[in-house]
Amino acid sequence: MKEAPTNKGTLCPKAFASVQWVYSPQRLKYPLKRIGKKGESKFERISWDEALDTIASRLSELKEKHGPESLAILAPARRSYCDYLQRFLIAHGSPNYGHSGLCFIQAAFGFAYTLGWPWLNRDGADFEHANLIVVWGANPAYAAAPLGNLRRILDAKKRGARLMVIKPEMQPDAAKADIWVPIRPGTDGALALAMLHVIINENLYDADFVSRWCYGFDKLVPHIQKYNPEWAEPITGLSADQIREVARIYGTTKPACILAGNAFDQVADSNNAVRAVAILIAITGNLDRPGGNIVPTGTTMPMVKSVHLRERYTQDFVDRLVGPEIASCFQPFMEGTSSAYYRCLDSVLTRKPYPIRAIIAPGTQPTVTTRGSKRVVEALGKLEFFVVIDVMQNSSMPWADIVVPVATMYECDHPFEVTGNWIMARNKVIEPLGDYKSDYEFWLDLAVKMGYGKDFWDGSIEKCMNYQLENFGITIEELRAHPTGIIYEPKPMVYEKYEKIFTTPSTRLSRAPYLPQGKVAIYNTTFEENGFNPLPEWIEPPESPTATPELLAKYPLVFFDAHTSDVYNAAWLRNLPYLREIQPEPWVHIHPETAKARGIKNGDWVIVESPHGWIKVKALYFEGIRPDVVMGLHGWWQGCDDLGLPGYPILDGGANVNVLYSTDPDKAFDPMVTAMPKQTLVEVRKA
Amino acid sequence: MAKQYGFYFDADRCIQCRACEVACKSVRDIEPGINWMRVVEIWGGVYPNVTRDFFVLACMHCGKPACIEVCPTGAISKRDEDGIVVVDRDKCNGCQECLSACPYGVPQFGDDGIMQMCDFCADMNIEPPCAVCCPTEALKFGNIDELLEMAKGKGARRMGGPTEPSVIIVGELQLDNLVV
Repeated sequence: MKEAPTNKGTLCPKAFASVQWVYSPQRLKYPLKRIGKKGESKFERISWDEALDTIASRLSELKEKHGPESLAILAPARRSYCDYLQRFLIAHGSPNYGHSGLCFIQAAFGFAYTLGWPWLNRDGADFEHANLIVVWGANPAYAAAPLGNLRRILDAKKRGARLMVIKPEMQPDAAKADIWVPIRPGTDGALALAMLHVIINENLYDADFVSRWCYGFDKLVPHIQKYNPEWAEPITGLSADQIREVARIYGTTKPACILAGNAFDQVADSNNAVRAVAILIAITGNLDRPGGNIVPTGTTMPMVKSVHLRERYTQDFVDRLVGPEIASCFQPFMEGTSSAYYRCLDSVLTRKPYPIRAIIAPGTQPTVTTRGSKRVVEALGKLEFFVVIDVMQNSSMPWADIVVPVATMYECDHPFEVTGNWIMARNKVIEPLGDYKSDYEFWLDLAVKMGYGKDFWDGSIEKCMNYQLENFGITIEELRAHPTGIIYEPKPMVYEKYEKIFTTPSTRLSRAPYLPQGKVAIYNTTFEENGFNPLPEWIEPPESPTATPELLAKYPLVFFDAHTSDVYNAAWLRNLPYLREIQPEPWVHIHPETAKARGIKNGDWVIVESPHGWIKVKALYFEGIRPDVVMGLHGWWQGCDDLGLPGYPILDGGANVNVLYSTDPDKAFDPMVTAMPKQTLVEVRKA
Repeated sequence: MAKQYGFYFDADRCIQCRACEVACKSVRDIEPGINWMRVVEIWGGVYPNVTRDFFVLACMHCGKPACIEVCPTGAISKRDEDGIVVVDRDKCNGCQECLSACPYGVPQFGDDGIMQMCDFCADMNIEPPCAVCCPTEALKFGNIDELLEMAKGKGARRMGGPTEPSVIIVGELQLDNLVV
């Protein structure tokens, strides 16, 4: 609808295809229980009562025998129901919210503990006033709302701002750029360190800001000397001259803002890369100034009351985490206490420090979503109790004991949409096409069955929504009287709020501020006290031309993957004909010269093999990619019955990129935020 | 000059998001494999100095439509009132002469073998969803004289070519390498 302030009536192709999503023959229609062996996909229909009773009794039994922490709920990314999951876990007594290390959280952590505010890249790039915009490992064309960042960037460009895009392949944003920097995947942290080297040694930093508002710059200066552009050249695959040029452009074009994305921080070097970029923003004087990376002042809209029960956290919760996503000393972070998604599953096999025994996976597919699919499938086979909640049949369902079908947002009238300064009650568009509850109702009903009803409004979704709206002074029924919602006024922007930003209390139980000195933590004493490097350093990926040159003879190319394309999100939507006909087969983008050297023609099926596994995909010639790099797309498994196009196996020989990556406990995890790399070395040959 | 509807295309703003393609398919309920609207890419140069442009390929509702000239059954016509090129599917015999004649490969043939293509949603009484819903406002629809006037300051020009496509182009676009 044109009144919606978020998209003003425009949509992306995924939204236009949603009619095929809602009416898909692959929709789950009613609750199921498994009657065959794990992985066999034999199910029979059960009633909602039986589904809820079974889940409640199994969870209660495991809680009694093994403690509440034996339950993990997987939640890879922030969704509207995530706080309900946390509420349920806290009421149950488990800290194991299985969060991914694949989303915004790792960048949020580095920004919070360096600059005092977590969302400096996601919400803070002030495109409207920038003279230089740096898009760094982000994909604003495919991975954001249609009226989101890319549109703002295009407007800024039209106004005369320069656009620099740092990524290995020429995606649409790079195609529009004034400067494309085709970096080797997974080495953005090395580029950021070398940029610091140039900016410091060529005196391109804002000395006034540094002396007034930064702590530990004097320690950074000697530390950074080893990270010169010549050092970064063989790592990043960019020439030292080009690195100098990039640094000088960022250091001298004022103001400049950076939009950094997941490609940048899904590396073992994640926290270092984020800190290095945070320091770049600060020392160039681009922090909270017009056209830089800013902290928005917000709106006059009241806060929606969260259903998260974080006030009940104690140290005991933190101590019982099975595999902390963020290092324990920094728990809870933004999402609450969290274990890493992959580590929840891995504990089933390692039994260290104890095994997770029950997993609930709402709207997420561990089989293809996280790295190390072979170990994940093995873990699912050994798990004592596994519940899958989804709209559609999914790739993890064959291992589920109970499958819970949920309504789409078009089939339920709760809760509400909240974006920025706009709140609107969700309206049901069609009656549910099956025997559905919404995700929210499911958690309320399960909580009641578990005896947690007192904390869950005795199962009343109406009361739950009214609780969330308390600060607005209206009820959900009253909100419904505004069919297009309520828009609140933005507060006037105030810049340079350093005293406020740099004293932000952290989310730890102590609420100690993120920045103990009340200044940008260039030298991070909080990290130092907890045994981590106080200054950003470089950590090599598990495999790369410079980390493991001995592998290059057998695996000469660098592989990485995107999580979102023009028509697909993560591991979904391949069953929708409108989208599948645009991208019918799993692919790898390859430079024509690289392909021809291997006798590969455009459109040939190829084997992509890494030291860890292999996939079979179609080679697509792509002129705009580094010749030493090939790029795939995450999340292929689903078939499309309407077009007669097949699905693909989850393990070797399928098209699931996650079989290619390392899960080496010593190399494949950022030590502070558990980010897992999505780069490896491969060879490509004709299938 | 008579009224002529057409597209306005801003090459600096199109990102090949394909919203127009899927909007068209879903609103007009078009069968699989058939596209009335496609966003194609145009590559130039050699790595690392490559260029990548995008262009919308729907019926251009040309001033001098080559398809009409070659149609043996007179199934294709250009409407006087708005310049929209339409096909009378009852008259079309599926010979595909129009496809050979069209410099842009626009005419589409589905299971029934009869020509189909973009008609600017002429009989639907809606503004074409491809243009209404373009997230970056790269694509607009309207009277081409008005579109040209509106975008005068942006270096707008009418697309060249012997068939006189009814498309107004803004921004940098090298159509020489267009492969259809």
